[in-house]
Amino acid sequence: MTDIDVRQKVLAANAAAAATLRESFGRSGTLVVNLISSPGSGKTTLLEKTVAALKDTLRLGGLEGDIATERDAERLRKTGIPARQILTGGACHLDARQVDRALAEEGPRLQDLDILFIENVGNLICPTGYDLGEDFKVVLLSVTEGEDKPFKYPAIFSKAAVTVVTKTDLLPYVTFDLAAVKEQVATLAPEGRLVEVSATTGAGMDAWISLLTDALAKKRAAVYAAEGVS
Amino acid sequence: MHEMGLAVEIHRLAREAVAGRGPGRIEIVRVAVGELSAVEPDLLEFAWEAAVAGTEDAASKLEVDYRPARQTCRVCGEIADRAPGSWLRLCPRCGDALAVSGGDDLDVLQVVFEEDESENRTAEGAAR
Repeated sequence: MTDIDVRQKVLAANAAAAATLRESFGRSGTLVVNLISSPGSGKTTLLEKTVAALKDTLRLGGLEGDIATERDAERLRKTGIPARQILTGGACHLDARQVDRALAEEGPRLQDLDILFIENVGNLICPTGYDLGEDFKVVLLSVTEGEDKPFKYPAIFSKAAVTVVTKTDLLPYVTFDLAAVKEQVATLAPEGRLVEVSATTGAGMDAWISLLTDALAKKRAAVYAAEGVS
Repeated sequence: MHEMGLAVEIHRLAREAVAGRGPGRIEIVRVAVGELSAVEPDLLEFAWEAAVAGTEDAASKLEVDYRPARQTCRVCGEIADRAPGSWLRLCPRCGDALAVSGGDDLDVLQVVFEEDESENRTAEGAAR
């Protein structure tokens, strides 16, 4: 009987694929945002409104992860940006190799962008551990879901750089303790940002949009700095 | 339910670690699973049975070393008596804000491998 020390990350293969993607996004100066939430918290609707606000000034694209149907990619294409559906066929998350394959097959339309939105499969658990080469993860929580979500799903709320509370126009009609959510998120992600939006009324969209454009500006500055050195 | 895919990947990594050691069976694979890794240890152990079924390692065991995340207070230090899965917003002693750290482990730590002795003897016999 032999004991063999391994000490290897289980997701090392995914991490390696994600590192390659991150390098390539770094070269093109593309900001990549990985959106994660339960099904129905408004990821696609938020993206539709985000695209409407930004598409005249920025080159945008989307990858849509779902178990079945082309619906979400079609919804994004209707807004006038290139989008590709990744069908996982039952798998509960996207992995870096699927993203790499989708981008390779789609070609320059989805590679030469200012911002690439990756909408993960609707699930608060499984997508957490899979790095897709993104700049940051965004977790969405709609006010109809209840305020105990961050502590119930601490992994994703601790790893997401941004928490977006969605459907705030419904706050008068539901019992949702926004202060409790803020406290939980502050505990799990002390460095994280929290924005409150209603994609329907447009309330809070400005804060979300400037968060994205600020992050893009920072990324471009980093790319230019790197080019200046080399 | 991504534990099945992880179990298959853990088995692949374990087999990679014993490659070149000749024929034999994996007896135990030890893994670290953190509280914030989004992996459920019971489900992973259950998935392991399915992942190794029909392979030479069908009788192997997956041993999970569960690693809780830490909650610490700037003033009072680590909150030692927190039950796994229960989170505190504020320090129970001084009421200050708490921080969460660690617990994101998902690693293969060690493989216990049983070399196939009869095969070794045959190999030695053939060499003689």
